[in-house]
Amino acid sequence: MRMDQTQRTWATASLVIFAVSAIAYVVYVSQSPAGPSGGSFMGLVFGSAGFAFMIFAALLGARKRVPTWRLGRAQTWMRGHLWLGLLSLPMILFHGGFHFGGPLTRALMWLTIVVVLSGVYGAALQNYVPRMMTRDVPLETIYDEIDNVRKALRAEADNLIESVCGRLGLIKEIDEGQRAGGFTALRPISASAVPLRTSAGVSAGASAVAMAPEIVLLTDEESKPLRLFYFSDLRAFLEAPAWQRQRLGDPERANNAFAALRRLTPLVAHPALQDLEDICDETRQLMRQERLHRWLHGWLLVHIPLSLVLILLGAVHAVMALRY
Amino acid sequence: MPRTRTTKTVAQRIDLNYFKRPTRFKRARWLLAVFLPLLALGWLGWHGLSRDSRVYSSGRMSGSHAVLEKHCGACHVQKAGEFSAKAADGACLGCHDGPVHHEQQVGAGVPACATCHLEHRGRINIIAASNANCGGCHSNLKVGAGAVSYSAHIRTLEDGHPEISVKREGVKDPGTILLNHAIHMKPIRRGPNGPLVQMDCSDCHRPESYKGSWPYADANYVDAKVSYGEQDVLLPVRAGRLLPRRVMSRAYMAPVRFSTACAACHLLTFDKRFDIGVPHDQPVVIHTFLVKKFQEFIAAHAAELRVVRDPKRDLTGKPIPPEVRTLTPAQWVSEQTADAEELLWRKTCKQCHALNFVSGQALPHIAEARLTVRWMPHARFDHDAHRGFSCLGCHPGALVSKETGDVLVPNLANCKICHAPGPDHAESRCFECHTYHDWSKRKEVKPSYTLPALQTGGK
Repeated sequence: MRMDQTQRTWATASLVIFAVSAIAYVVYVSQSPAGPSGGSFMGLVFGSAGFAFMIFAALLGARKRVPTWRLGRAQTWMRGHLWLGLLSLPMILFHGGFHFGGPLTRALMWLTIVVVLSGVYGAALQNYVPRMMTRDVPLETIYDEIDNVRKALRAEADNLIESVCGRLGLIKEIDEGQRAGGFTALRPISASAVPLRTSAGVSAGASAVAMAPEIVLLTDEESKPLRLFYFSDLRAFLEAPAWQRQRLGDPERANNAFAALRRLTPLVAHPALQDLEDICDETRQLMRQERLHRWLHGWLLVHIPLSLVLILLGAVHAVMALRY
Repeated sequence: MPRTRTTKTVAQRIDLNYFKRPTRFKRARWLLAVFLPLLALGWLGWHGLSRDSRVYSSGRMSGSHAVLEKHCGACHVQKAGEFSAKAADGACLGCHDGPVHHEQQVGAGVPACATCHLEHRGRINIIAASNANCGGCHSNLKVGAGAVSYSAHIRTLEDGHPEISVKREGVKDPGTILLNHAIHMKPIRRGPNGPLVQMDCSDCHRPESYKGSWPYADANYVDAKVSYGEQDVLLPVRAGRLLPRRVMSRAYMAPVRFSTACAACHLLTFDKRFDIGVPHDQPVVIHTFLVKKFQEFIAAHAAELRVVRDPKRDLTGKPIPPEVRTLTPAQWVSEQTADAEELLWRKTCKQCHALNFVSGQALPHIAEARLTVRWMPHARFDHDAHRGFSCLGCHPGALVSKETGDVLVPNLANCKICHAPGPDHAESRCFECHTYHDWSKRKEVKPSYTLPALQTGGK
């Protein structure tokens, strides 16, 4: 969620709540002979408010599981999650009088701090990373499908190289699944099928990523540098692109590699080489997307589980504090 | 022919059921969301099974109660049929009494123990009540019956605290021993023929528990038994004063004694025939001593009964005695005793004591010394805690005081130089000097714990 003008109402309301609470806290401390205490009336008010904010923030997860229920706009829930979740930290600090207390309360204080700070970190990332994604990854795909897309790119590259160099005995990977348009993707297409180069080809029922080889353009002698490059560098990169030391992972080094290859291959093979270079570029973009996605969502591995622990232990604390 | 990339071609790469498939990220998130709460519950469960409720403690206990850290039930007593197990006064009073503050205290204003003595605030001094606790009543003091006899608007040491009572206008030292501090603080001759000495405060003023030697003591007097006790010398503390529970033996200066502080210089000699002085005691004891000494002397020196007139001792206005007189031993003793007593009552004793001569009585009456030991009966002061400071820093009046009635206790402003709020100052909260409980009304309690059992979790 972007931090922009649309957050003004929530930000102002949160600031007002914080200011009122801070003033109330200062007055309460100055009038308490024994100092602030979580068990005092004001301490309980702050504690209840803080815990209520936490519960509301936690309910966002439940709300997301029932997106069709008419429980208010998702945007409102998200803003409430952000701002009330943020407010829960000062409320809990006021509740405890900035004392961390015993083992359970100390754990709760640290959990609150970690959860809120991880949330702030996540919100900040949400503000910047999507923009970076748009800029750096124009060929962005669904994160969960990156492996499949990569497989499709590999199949496409295999077809391209066989169309230039002839049959190389590359195994066609078959991956069944329901595809957009009702197709079963990545089906190998017979050599006689219409080569897919246009949208008309797609409409004709072929898969865009699984093209049949066209005409073999090069002799064995002519295709040797290309075949060597393909098996030593390109295919390894397409199979395991996360390997950082691969030269095709670096745009400049990849550019140099393809430029050198163009000098060693006849002109007729250059369009295929350009396609292979595009496939490399798309693979690099997918690598970048993966990295940005981990930045964008990795913090949730801390935020969500610890939030659940916080709610659970907070409830236990509330009950046991009533007892003692 | 360039590679064509359309929306449809891109879309066809996507499995429409991709969201149903588990991914590493989703799986990790789910595992952590299950595992961490279970871990937290396990932590609480483990403490529950080992019957250790410390996990729910709101903080470490004070130093005094640290030994009870594992025994929540010692204070948090659960009543039958109730969920709550909050600590109540009864739990505190089970181990130590908390006498009332003041008989005139307004009944409804008596706070619970935990109001002032906060627990679970770490290893703090639990006696250290906040000023606000005291100020709750003393900022606008009301009493249950009668008039308020104290300052009624004290909030803190800085706000509303009156001057130390003995330093207020017109208050004099009630003592009757005549003492000129100024003379004693200058170089002074030690005895009639002694050397000049520069005395120091500690030559006379030392704590009760001091065991060392005194520079101006006389062993004859230190070891001598006297017929008067401290109750005859010291001013009693009036009833109704809130004396501190613990008075350290080095906290207060012992009353100055003749035997240890004065005897070396102020000789109680009475006759040139004798090297010793009279006892430092009541006139009747001195009289008996003199008679006995003169009787013993004349028994051994019968020639002294023939008294030759000494013209130097003829006093104007008195009949001139014959040139030679021969006295009986009784006459001689009587005359010599009278002369010695005249010297003592009119000069030696009178230098320090107030003597009253009542007509018809042969011996004078010596006024009670009325020495004050506790100048601040409502407050505690520890000289030992201030031993790093020179006496004159707080008692500069000792250099110039010439009158017994001068009170040399420092003003409250002197205390406030160090005792003030803030990290660079000494403690200035009420409890530092005052006590809440009237320990004179203390009741003994029955012991609740035995040490080995307490260490192993029992009582």
